[in-house]
Amino acid sequence: MSADFIQLLVGGILLGGIYGLAAFGLSITFGVLNVLNLAHGEFLMLGSLLSYGVFVGLGMNPFIAAILVIPVFMLLGVGFYLLLLKPIADKPPHQLLVASILVTLGASLFIEDITAYFWERPVTGISYSLPPMELGDVVISSTRLLILLFIFALACAMQLYLKKTFVGKSIRAIVQGREGAKVVGIPISRVSALAFSIGMALAASAGAFYVTLFTVTPVMGIPLTIKYLCVVVLGGLGSIVGSVFGGLILGVAETLTAYYCGAEWAPTIAFILLILILIVRPEGLFGAKK
Amino acid sequence: MTRSGKRLLYAVVVLLWAILTALPWLGFSYTVVWIFLLAVYFTLALSYDIVGGYMGYMNLGHSTFFGLGAYITAILLNHGFNLFASLLAALLLVALFAALISYPLFRLRGAYFALATFGLISLIEVLTVNLRDLTGGSGGISTPPGNHMLPSYYMVLGVAGATMVMSHLVARSKFGLALFSIREDEEVARAFGVPTSLYKGLALVISSTPASLVGGIYVWNMTYVSPESVFGLEIALSPIIMAMLGGTGIMIGPLVGAVFITLVQEFLWTQVPYFHLAMYGVVLALLGLFMPGGLVRTRWFRPLIQWLGLGEAVDYFKNVDAERMS
Repeated sequence: MSADFIQLLVGGILLGGIYGLAAFGLSITFGVLNVLNLAHGEFLMLGSLLSYGVFVGLGMNPFIAAILVIPVFMLLGVGFYLLLLKPIADKPPHQLLVASILVTLGASLFIEDITAYFWERPVTGISYSLPPMELGDVVISSTRLLILLFIFALACAMQLYLKKTFVGKSIRAIVQGREGAKVVGIPISRVSALAFSIGMALAASAGAFYVTLFTVTPVMGIPLTIKYLCVVVLGGLGSIVGSVFGGLILGVAETLTAYYCGAEWAPTIAFILLILILIVRPEGLFGAKK
Repeated sequence: MTRSGKRLLYAVVVLLWAILTALPWLGFSYTVVWIFLLAVYFTLALSYDIVGGYMGYMNLGHSTFFGLGAYITAILLNHGFNLFASLLAALLLVALFAALISYPLFRLRGAYFALATFGLISLIEVLTVNLRDLTGGSGGISTPPGNHMLPSYYMVLGVAGATMVMSHLVARSKFGLALFSIREDEEVARAFGVPTSLYKGLALVISSTPASLVGGIYVWNMTYVSPESVFGLEIALSPIIMAMLGGTGIMIGPLVGAVFITLVQEFLWTQVPYFHLAMYGVVLALLGLFMPGGLVRTRWFRPLIQWLGLGEAVDYFKNVDAERMS
C-alpha cells in the first residue's frame, strides 16, 4: 500500500466518523419520534457556523467550541421539538408521515434560505493545526487524529448513556415499542424532546468538527441529510455501531472516489451506495433480517 | 343536489377549456405564457399525485422525470430529430428509467422513500453537470431557436387534459383501488393478493409519463435547458406544494393548489425579491402543522366539494382526516 492510499484512508475514516456521529443523531430521532428529520443536515451546517463564529470571534480552541455548541443545540432541539414536532406527534401513521415531511422539509428550506442570506461567503475551514505526525512515509495530521479520538469518545459516551442510564434505557424502550413504553409509564413526550435534542447536539458537534476540515456552505444541508440517510440505511437503523461503520464506509468511499475519479463525482457515491445496498441487502449491513 | 353539482362541474370544465383554447386568439399574450407555466406545474402536480396521493408514497423527486424529459428532448432535437420523435423517445426512456429506479427505491418506505427520491434529483443533476459532452455541463444546452409559444401552449393544455383523464381513469379502476389499499396498509393489501411491488413500479412509470412530456414541451418552448432550470428546488417543490396545499389523492386538489400557488407567486414573488425558498419553507411547515389534508378537505371547502359530487374521494379520508379537520 502506498503512502498516498493510507493518507486517503485516514482522511476517509475521519470524514466517516463525522458522518457516523451525525447520522446516529438522525437515527435516534427517527427511532424515538418516528419522524425522519429532513432538517438534520441544516443543524450540522448551523453547528459548523456557530463553532466557526466562536473560533473566529473569541479565538477559542475548536475542540472547546465543539463542546460549547452541544448545550446550545440541545436547547434549540427542545424548541424545535415543542414548536414543530410535538403538535403532530399523535397523528395516525400516514398523516404523521406526510405532516412530518412537510414540517421538517419546510424548516430545512427556511433555515437554508435565511442562513444563505446572512452568510454571503462560504466558510473555508478553521485554520487550526497541530504539528503533524510522521510514521515512515505517511504524514498524519494530528488535528485529524485528535478529532477522530474525540468522535470515538463521544460515540462511546453515547453508547454508555443509552445502555446504562435510566433515561437512556427509556429512550431505547421507546425505540423498541412506543405503546409498550407508554404502558410502563415512560413520559413519551419528555423523552422524545430529550432524544431529539440529543440528536441535534450530535449533528451540531459533528458540524464543529466538519468545519475544521472542510468548506461549509449554507446550501449543504439537504445533500448532507441524504448522505446520513445512506449511512443509516448502510448501517441499519438505530444502532450506533452500525451508524459509525456506515459512516466509515461512506467516508472512505467518498474520499477514494474524489481522488481516483475526480472531486466532481464524490457527491454521487452516497446515492450509488444507497441503491446498491437496497438491491443487495435492504435491511442494512448490521440490521437484523426480518 | 349532487347531480346538478356534477352537471355544473362539467359545464365549468368545458367552459374553461373553451376559454383557454380561445385565449391566444384574443390577444392575451402575457396570460398565455402564464397559463402555459400554470399548466406545466399543474400537470406535474397531478402526475405526482398518482404516486404521492393515491398510493401514499411521497415522491419528492418527481421533477427528475421532468428534467430528464427536458434533457432527452433537447439532445435529440439538436441531433436533428423532429419534435414528436424526440418527445416519444423522452417519454419511453424516462418510463424505462422510472421502471428501473422503482426496484431499489420501493424497498424504502415512508420518509426514507421521500428522502431517497429527493436525493435522486441531485444525483441526476450532478450527472448532467459532469457529463459535459452529452449535456453541455452546467452551462446547459440550447435547442434550435424559434417561437413555439402557440403550439406548445396547446400541447401542454392537451397533456394536462390527458393527465386529468388518466388520473380520473386510474382513480376509478381496480388498479387505482389497489393503489389506495397500498396507501392504507401495504401489508394487508399484499395479504389480499394485490401485487404490490408490480403496482408500485407501474404507478411510478405512469406518473413519470406526463412529467417527461411536459419537460420536453417546456424545453422546446424555452429553447434552453440547464441543470439549474430543471433540477432546481423551485421546480422540484412547487408541484408537490400545489398538490399538498390543494389536497392529495383527489383530482381537484392539485388544480386548486396550482391556481392558488401561481397566483401567490405572481403577486408575492414580484414584490419580494428575497426569501422565496424560506417562504416555501414556511408554507410547507404550516401545511404540515395545520392541514395535511389540504385546502379541499378543510371545513370551508368541504360543502362545495360535496355539492360538486366529488365527495367520494374527500370522504375516503373521513376516518383519518375528518375529526382533525373540523
